Amino acid sequence: MTEESTTGSEGGEYLSRKVIVATENGLHARPAGKLAQEAQAFQADISLVCDDQEADAKSILDILTLAAGPGNVVELRASGVDAEAALERLEQLFANKLEG
Amino acid sequence: MADSIITGIPVATGIAIGKAFFVNRSHAANLPRQTVAARLVGDEIDRLHDAFKTVVQELAAIREQMPEELKSHGSLIDTHLMMLKDPKLSGAAEEYIKSLGLNAAWALEKAVADQEQAFGAISDPYIRERMQDVRVVADKVQTKLMGVEVDMTAISGRAIIMAHDLTPADTVELQADKIMAFATVRGGKTSHTGIMARSLAIPALVGVEKLEEKVKDGDLVVLDGLTGRIVVNPSEDELEEYNERAALFETYSRKIKRQCHLPAETFDGSRVEVLANIELVEEVAAVLDNGGEGVGLYRTEYAYLNRKELPTEDELADKYIDLASIMSPRKVVYRTLDLGSDKYIASFGELNEANPAMGLRAIRFCLKNPQLFKVQLRAILRASAYGNVSLMFPMISGVKEVRQAKAWLAQAKAELRREGVDYDPDMPVGTMIELPAAVMIAEYLAHEVDFFSIGTNDLIQYSLGVDRTNSHVSYLYQPLHPATLRSIKLVVDAAHQAGIEVSLCGEVASDPYCVPILLGMGIDSISMTPQAIPGIKRIIRQTNMHDCRKLLRDVLECRTVSRINNLVMDNIFKHFPEEVTFFSSLLENDELPT
Repeated sequence: MTEESTTGSEGGEYLSRKVIVATENGLHARPAGKLAQEAQAFQADISLVCDDQEADAKSILDILTLAAGPGNVVELRASGVDAEAALERLEQLFANKLEG
Repeated sequence: MADSIITGIPVATGIAIGKAFFVNRSHAANLPRQTVAARLVGDEIDRLHDAFKTVVQELAAIREQMPEELKSHGSLIDTHLMMLKDPKLSGAAEEYIKSLGLNAAWALEKAVADQEQAFGAISDPYIRERMQDVRVVADKVQTKLMGVEVDMTAISGRAIIMAHDLTPADTVELQADKIMAFATVRGGKTSHTGIMARSLAIPALVGVEKLEEKVKDGDLVVLDGLTGRIVVNPSEDELEEYNERAALFETYSRKIKRQCHLPAETFDGSRVEVLANIELVEEVAAVLDNGGEGVGLYRTEYAYLNRKELPTEDELADKYIDLASIMSPRKVVYRTLDLGSDKYIASFGELNEANPAMGLRAIRFCLKNPQLFKVQLRAILRASAYGNVSLMFPMISGVKEVRQAKAWLAQAKAELRREGVDYDPDMPVGTMIELPAAVMIAEYLAHEVDFFSIGTNDLIQYSLGVDRTNSHVSYLYQPLHPATLRSIKLVVDAAHQAGIEVSLCGEVASDPYCVPILLGMGIDSISMTPQAIPGIKRIIRQTNMHDCRKLLRDVLECRTVSRINNLVMDNIFKHFPEEVTFFSSLLENDELPT
């Protein structure tokens, strides 16, 4: 979807993309676990933003407490060496309904 | 005398006698709370991470060795693994050790409390419930930290497994051949523990609140899955009594199970259909195993709960078709959505009604939300092409409601016909009789539908004005109150007058004391939890319609509940002295508070 490079509020640069939650029940335990697992493979700091709430993409607990429902738009933010690759992979994951 | 007797909710029947063996306890209440000297903080942090790592390794190994039939629980273990690896839990605990100098187990408890707060604020009930998973993994880590671990492989013969809660991972580790029974503090009627116990054919109790307080490891306990009692350290006499009871029950249940496929026919040749109440399609195995002649009540709410979005028509139709075709040619009665009151759909939210039992529920909710209603009606109609399907509406209070509901059904049929989708145009349509109003106008309702199904659980509550879960008034919940009996009789007579069949699907149907009266009224079918079928069929096969009619006549002349209960109990004691000790009855409720 959209990609842009932004300066975050704390001065750090991050890359950002917007994705849609397409899983039937939103970011429930299984998709949240899958997402955290994939995110942990990258060095970059990755976060999810939904309704002004930010969650660490590497934390299943954080993702769960975001309580993102089906159809919600979520912004992925990443900064660090492999930020680009991380966003690429996670966007694909969202497109596959967090199944593969 | 026994040390103590505690009670819980029986989820699998039987009687077991053995040694208590605790496999997991909740540590929150008796956690060591100490501070750690500054120079030892580093060591304490290492201890924390080591404990996390060990639990991860053990769980991963269990995941690896999971037998095929339990693989469906694998994703729950994956979730637990991700939580264990989550820096939000272990990292937060580490922070508490560093900043406050707490011992590791306490620091973890504080990290759990933080999560509890975060999860508590979430409106989605499914996600909120995941907090229980956080609790489970934290308990496992705390067990390691406190060195109170139990080696499950050390379970020796005749163990009664006690736990705060049993997770699928726990049950994989347990050696089934040595386990006599389960008891847990947590859990309701539909919990994993019950499913496990029934598949192992051992008794189980859940919701035993005082379990951790009253039972110690190694205590000799009797677990009675018929009455829901746990007797801790029984006396010699009590033990002997229970040993005998267990042996008798064993013989009795083998006998009734052997005969459960015989028809429910009285000595003098009257047949009653004995059907099952189910909630999940998977339960058909239990229905057929126990000699159920069909499904008299399929509760369809499950597919709507614990999720954000409504189920689609295809999703529902898949399930409904499965059920209809597996049971075919046996009958399946689909009850349309009975939500509202205690259960509600996430996407509609809680209704905030002052009095939900009298609020927007069941058919009222469906008629207010016709789109949702029609999706379900279409799915049920589609299933009707695959088997012997009937449909019924819950909570009907008047003729107009039935006509409205039937109008939506007619519209759904017309749509399917236009689309060229198959359905059974003659699918029987019935209504439940649960409200006193429906009883009084049963004569009119009988002209609108093909059958009645009396839902006695609600009917008793509404006619006696008693919420049976309210302990202040639950003594007034009297299934054989003269008003209840007259209501049932009125409905049965109205149905038969109009030439339609009448079924009964409340707990009364599986109460051995009440069944002879129902037979006397001439009820056409009764529907109950699958496990109760063999026992009830046996009672029917050993009674005489003539005696039942006589009993009914006598009972209808009584003015008080206690007189009725006495008559009914005498009848059973006279005819079924052998079984009587294994019955648990709704009638035992009959005592005034002092």
